[in-house]
Amino acid sequence: MTIQEAPMIKITNLEKFYRTEEVETIALNKLSIEIATGEFVAIMGPSGCGKSTLLNILGMLDDPDAGSYVFNDIEVAHFTERKRADLRKHNIGFVFQSFNLIDELTVFENVELPLIYTGVAASERVKRVEEVLDKMQIMHRRNHYPQQLSGGQQQRVAIARAVVNKPKLILADEPTGNLDSSNGNDVMELLTDLNEQGTTIIMVTHSEHDARYSHRIIRLLDGQSVMENIMV
Amino acid sequence: MIRNYLKTAWRNIVGNKFYAAINVAGLTFGLVIGLFMLLWVQDELSFDTFNKKGPEIYRIGIIGGTDVSKQIFTSIIAPVVPAAKNELPEVIDGVRILNVGSAPFKYKEKNFIEEHAAFADPSYFTVFDFPLVNGDKMKPFQDNNSVVITQTMSKKYFGNEDPIGKMVILGLNESLKVTGVMKDYPANSSIKFDFLLPISRYNQLAYLNRNVNYDGKTRVLSMDADWVNFSFETYLRVKPNTDVEQLTKKLRSIHERNRPEDAPVPYLAQPLYQMHLYKADGSNGGIETVRTFAIVAILILVIACINYVNLSTARSMLRAKEVSMRKIIGAGKLQLFMQFMIETTLLFTIATVLAIALMYALMPIYNNFSGKQLQVSAGNYQVWTYIVITLVGTLAASSIYPAVLLSSFEPLKALKGKVAAGIGNVAFRKVLVVVQFTVSIVLIIGTIIIGRQLNYIQKKDLGYDKENVFSLNMRDIKQHYDAFKNDLLKQPGIISITRAGGDIVNNNGWTGDNDWDGKPAKSNLLFHPIAADKDFMAFFKLKMKEGSVFTGAVADTTHFILNEAAVDAMGLKNPIGKNIRIQKMRGTITGVVKNFHYASMRKKIEPAVIYYRPEDCYKVYIKTTGTDAPKAIAAVQKSWKQYNNDTPFSYTFLDDSFNQLYKTEQRTGALFNVFSVIAIVISCLGLFGLATYSAQVKTREIGIRKVLGSSVTGIIRLLATEFVLLIVIAIFIATPVAWYAMDKWLQDYAYKTSISIWIFLLAGGSATFLALATISVQSLKAALANPVKSLRSE
Repeated sequence: MTIQEAPMIKITNLEKFYRTEEVETIALNKLSIEIATGEFVAIMGPSGCGKSTLLNILGMLDDPDAGSYVFNDIEVAHFTERKRADLRKHNIGFVFQSFNLIDELTVFENVELPLIYTGVAASERVKRVEEVLDKMQIMHRRNHYPQQLSGGQQQRVAIARAVVNKPKLILADEPTGNLDSSNGNDVMELLTDLNEQGTTIIMVTHSEHDARYSHRIIRLLDGQSVMENIMV
Repeated sequence: MIRNYLKTAWRNIVGNKFYAAINVAGLTFGLVIGLFMLLWVQDELSFDTFNKKGPEIYRIGIIGGTDVSKQIFTSIIAPVVPAAKNELPEVIDGVRILNVGSAPFKYKEKNFIEEHAAFADPSYFTVFDFPLVNGDKMKPFQDNNSVVITQTMSKKYFGNEDPIGKMVILGLNESLKVTGVMKDYPANSSIKFDFLLPISRYNQLAYLNRNVNYDGKTRVLSMDADWVNFSFETYLRVKPNTDVEQLTKKLRSIHERNRPEDAPVPYLAQPLYQMHLYKADGSNGGIETVRTFAIVAILILVIACINYVNLSTARSMLRAKEVSMRKIIGAGKLQLFMQFMIETTLLFTIATVLAIALMYALMPIYNNFSGKQLQVSAGNYQVWTYIVITLVGTLAASSIYPAVLLSSFEPLKALKGKVAAGIGNVAFRKVLVVVQFTVSIVLIIGTIIIGRQLNYIQKKDLGYDKENVFSLNMRDIKQHYDAFKNDLLKQPGIISITRAGGDIVNNNGWTGDNDWDGKPAKSNLLFHPIAADKDFMAFFKLKMKEGSVFTGAVADTTHFILNEAAVDAMGLKNPIGKNIRIQKMRGTITGVVKNFHYASMRKKIEPAVIYYRPEDCYKVYIKTTGTDAPKAIAAVQKSWKQYNNDTPFSYTFLDDSFNQLYKTEQRTGALFNVFSVIAIVISCLGLFGLATYSAQVKTREIGIRKVLGSSVTGIIRLLATEFVLLIVIAIFIATPVAWYAMDKWLQDYAYKTSISIWIFLLAGGSATFLALATISVQSLKAALANPVKSLRSE
């Protein structure tokens, strides 16, 4: 595993506020972070510290109110929704705590979906979906619907869906939060494997156990980075 | 991609059968009713349009009478056509039709009374598009003893034999040779005569072979020289771009030049295509109903669309997660838009297939109901245009908004469930519900008022007694009336018998040839003349205002009884004893009868004169006891055979003729019943969707309230209040709209029911009740739910 010089992600003085009529809450307060290509980073912190906000901005699901976000040498902070979406679908895969599979689609179809939206040809899609299902050891469940699977299996499908497009970056939001420890460990192993094959991973977690799989832990408090631990 | 969309859409339908069923049901009902109504509208608008030369064809009419007796006549005098063709270069051709009314026809052993026989000019077959399948349209009649019949009549009389050259007998002994067979009339033809005789035959019988004119005055040699006989339905075909107003002026001057004593006699020319839906003077006729039905049909479709929009946006919060995931994974807005469009289209296709299947199944019932012969045949492009436009319009109206709404979710918020509360602009959907209920309430009010008017007509004292009375045309009984009457009065079940020279339920006779003491010089008052026997007044229990009734004395032939309307129109203070002349009859006014309804209640009661002339009475009226009516009819039929031989026997109960008079109203009433039921059903489906949505959105609020001790009724009240408010708003909007529309509808009637406040209260009350019943299902479910569950799901 090699860590390259130019960072994949460089955020500088990033700010995000949430406003209601009377109250303004600061979610991210002049946060600056760099993440290199190939890194596996865990983000930790108490509830409300801005973890999820950060992840959403990194995933280009949300835009910051101020500051800079450079992704692969491109400044994306003020991209339009359409441009962000385009960049997102080719570069980023998501794994959620609650899996977020589409109930009406089978395992195979759920995994196939990103390929459809990026315009991959049908025959190529079948090949790639089968390949990734195989890798996630979920091939035998390809024609089942999400409700017919256990939590661990559902999260494998979600990871399969996240990686099928071969993204450079995977963002995982408490990927083991809804799983028992055994299934949780399996998921962490999977993510580690992916990372070893070159995918950059940023994971939000409450679990010190899970965080130990990463190279580096960024701890947030009140929208600011308060500590970084480099894992050995 | 499309396959994926279809797959998701289909699974969404299958996975949510209940909602899909509600959606499909709403759309199907809406489409069936909407399409049926629009097909009806299309059919009405298509009348006579198969006549390719239609834009050049005008029906000629005149305005007769003054003041209250002002009438439009669409039958005019025969000389107009030859004179117009001679004198007016813009007139290409003309057709005169003289309706024979009912006439007995005979072929071998077959005897029929035909209601649709007429004399006509040969140009009948060239001016109109009535093609002959057999015969020469340039020379349809070989001579005056020719007849042209329709294919149906050919089948009826001759079966599969070749009809050409066959002889049929008209009346007692008029032999007619079939020289042509015409294709059956399209259902949407205003002109429909099954037997056509050359008008030259009429000329021969009524003029050439006669020594005296019908009124005993100077003999007229030809119908073309008869400027008095207003019996000919007349059509002129003119050159394109003819100034029609000028044409009517020229026709008027031709008439007034030849018969100065008729002046002024304004002429009218009505385009052929407008004949069916407009009155001869161009004012609105059936077009009012067509417009009403078109508007109602569109409103019902709108209700169905609103229903779909409401239900699908209500359910969209449940789709928020899916939509967000698709967006996060990389779906573009357009792709999602397309996905939801396809979903709606799929659901819509199911509804369409069901609707069309239902329409096929219901078509016979509907045709029976609406008095139409609608059919959806592959070749009828006009009908298909209506269907396709309706389908595409409805689909667009119901699909676009939900698709835009769903595809514009912000993925992050949607994923966190934050969209739910703000979804789909709640205010907008409330407006939709108000619209739905406004329409429904207007229709309910319309239904109640139409029903009340029908009831009013049924129950109104007509001024005469039509109970258990039937009538028939006497034909040859006429000469043996006394024997016939005395014989029948001995039969059980027959109470009394009288005769008259006209229809008491719907009298269409007119005469303007009259005079009386003090008649103003300019007056051209028209009377309904009713020839009667001595017992006519007693038979119908007509009430006298003053003077005396007929006694049967010889002197009665110089006695006249006027109705109150006539006395008023004539401006007479003391009518009894005044001199009066009706046509060639002279005498004095001996009585005034109280007004009675001898025509539709759409019209004010017009002047009528009853005169004693047993020999002019061709109609017999027989009163039976209700229970013995069959016996009475059998007895009359036996007598009929004795005098009329093979001529088929037919009779009509006055109650039936009376109902016939209001058939349009009864149909409109029945259709409105269906409209409002469907409208309210679809609206309630939509409301059900909104209630479901509301209960879902408020799950948490309900949970908290329950934890804090709210009762079930308290929760139901919480949920129901906002909807009741919407219904109340709808009632307030619907009331003036319905009042205005129904007041306008009632203006068509001279005699009408009142619009009272309770109708609006009833309509509003029933809408509120139905809405509450609909909501309560969902509210109750929400109120009874375990609060622990609902709170945890947050």
